[in-house]
Amino acid sequence: MTTQRLSFRKGRLASGTTAYVILIVASITMVVPFFYIVSTSIKKTTQLFAYPPDWIPRIPFWGNYSTLLGSESLFLRWTLNTMIVAGVVTILKVIIDSMAGYAFAKIDFPGRRVLFILILAVVMVPTSAVIIPLFLLVRGMGLLDTYWALILPPLANPVGVFLMRNYIQSLPRDLENSARLDGCSEFSVYFRIILPLVKPGLVVLGILTFLAQYTAFLWPLLAVQDETLQVLTTGVAEMKASIFTIDWGLVSAASVLSMVPITIMFFMFQRYFSGGSIAGALKQ
Amino acid sequence: MKEHTVADSAISMVHVSKRYGDNLAVDDFTAAMAPGDFVVLLGPSGCGKSTVLKMIAGLEDVTEGEVYIAGELANYILPKNRDVAMVFQNYALYPHMAVSRNLAFPLKMRGVERARIRTRVEEVASLLELSSLLERFPDELSGGERQRVALGRAIIRDPVAFLMDEPLSNLDALLRFQMRDELLKLHKRVGKTTIYVTHDQIEAMAMADSVIVLKDGRVQQVGSPQDVYDRPANTFVATFIGSPPMNLLHGRTEVGGDGLIFTWKDHRIPLDNEGAAVATESILGVRAEEAELTQDSGDGVLRGIVGLVEPVGADKFVRVEIDEDVYWYVRVPSATQVREGEAIGVRIPADRHHLYDREGTLYRREEVSDRTTPGGG
Repeated sequence: MTTQRLSFRKGRLASGTTAYVILIVASITMVVPFFYIVSTSIKKTTQLFAYPPDWIPRIPFWGNYSTLLGSESLFLRWTLNTMIVAGVVTILKVIIDSMAGYAFAKIDFPGRRVLFILILAVVMVPTSAVIIPLFLLVRGMGLLDTYWALILPPLANPVGVFLMRNYIQSLPRDLENSARLDGCSEFSVYFRIILPLVKPGLVVLGILTFLAQYTAFLWPLLAVQDETLQVLTTGVAEMKASIFTIDWGLVSAASVLSMVPITIMFFMFQRYFSGGSIAGALKQ
Repeated sequence: MKEHTVADSAISMVHVSKRYGDNLAVDDFTAAMAPGDFVVLLGPSGCGKSTVLKMIAGLEDVTEGEVYIAGELANYILPKNRDVAMVFQNYALYPHMAVSRNLAFPLKMRGVERARIRTRVEEVASLLELSSLLERFPDELSGGERQRVALGRAIIRDPVAFLMDEPLSNLDALLRFQMRDELLKLHKRVGKTTIYVTHDQIEAMAMADSVIVLKDGRVQQVGSPQDVYDRPANTFVATFIGSPPMNLLHGRTEVGGDGLIFTWKDHRIPLDNEGAAVATESILGVRAEEAELTQDSGDGVLRGIVGLVEPVGADKFVRVEIDEDVYWYVRVPSATQVREGEAIGVRIPADRHHLYDREGTLYRREEVSDRTTPGGG
């Protein structure tokens, strides 16, 4: 082996090592907060402020978890609320946005451009800017402290329409034309041809919506006061506010538990992110 | 092609125009397609031929004029109720359905009962040799197979007419040749009116009962392929159809001796032509196989230099450079001895030529088909 090749190998090895070092440091930075929460969740209150910190308690304390899942706690109710709200919003949004996206992408109706520009304009308005009028509106409708208060406003978020419109627009026009000649009404073009082909897009929209609802905090905080209607984010935050001395162990356990469903969802739907759905429709 | 009235045509279009904003894509298109005919819409890209097809299918609105399908005004009928089937250039197979479901789809959408659908799918699959591919998905098929599935999906529901939008253009040369044959065989067997859009004049010549030549949204000529080749109505058709294109020469017509003389520079070409206007600028057109090579000079002969000899099997094309930017192709048997650079003459037979006015429209002669339509050339 020549020296040149050797030094080349050394160079590669060196740059590889650097990359790994950077990656390891980054990973540690990411993982430590989670680890800290998990570690806190399995400690008794008395162990929490020990110095030096006891990173891995020798005897794990499961009491925080049993308290949360016990009959006294509202934690499971909050989880259920979160699932209902996020689930319903996700399903409705996927339906509404894909229909609206289809209309904007494929149907030529008067005012289409103006309407679409309006929708784009709404995308640019931050939620916090409209939250007070929204609150007044929902209060005026008498919907405060109901599931509807949590479900209806997110449906108006136009990002999904924009996403679906672009997704559907990328489908070749000949496909819908062919379906129209094959006897499809406009709705069956949407339902039988377009919808199956934009499935990956629907899943992406669904995941984004679900995640956004799962982690939504500001609006649920304003929209519902009733303890039994809280969602996980506001409920867990409430735990901090309602007790004189904050039980960090309990709060950490709640945080850990609330991460579980969303993590499972991610692994379930991961495969949908890959794969081109229209391969084979057209000669490439 | 006989004249057909709206009532006895499979498809007819009467003074149809299509406008996109300021752009007139189709201008006053009138044609009647007889039942069972194979009609080819031929023209360069952007000439409006696909738009005509889409207007028949109902995928584009008609700006002006009327479209009739089976004698019935179709302007306001939805595509799904028009009873025409279309084969798209890119096949447009539904990628999420297997071949059998692709074939069954038009029947399913029309509420045909399941058992009937199954027998029809089997019939069509065996007709097109797709039986072994029924469970495959479009992305698992070759180009030719996808093409056959697209055809199958069109013929399965037995429509009044088939519309085909450059269906062979995505296939390689050999497959295109085979599919052309298959399509013709299928057409003979199924016997339905087919309207076929292409920019490929060879396809048009080989397949059509009747050719409609389009340019810039206007009909240039309608006729049988032979008719259109033998008697192009204008210089556009003359150069668009035929390979190499018809040789053209811009000169003047004069009266001389006992007939008409076409003059160009100091060449004099006597012609037998009774329809032409005299003492005016005209364009002389001669096909490569109508001209002859000669060593002579004098009346009826253009002198030039052999620029290129292209052998094409049994024949060869000789490119004779007559002037700067004026070169003519002459078709000669491959045994003919011609050397590049050699001085040579091109003889123009007095009775085998085409004479156009300065706008490029054919001077009418007795034998010229009366179906020619004047238009820009």
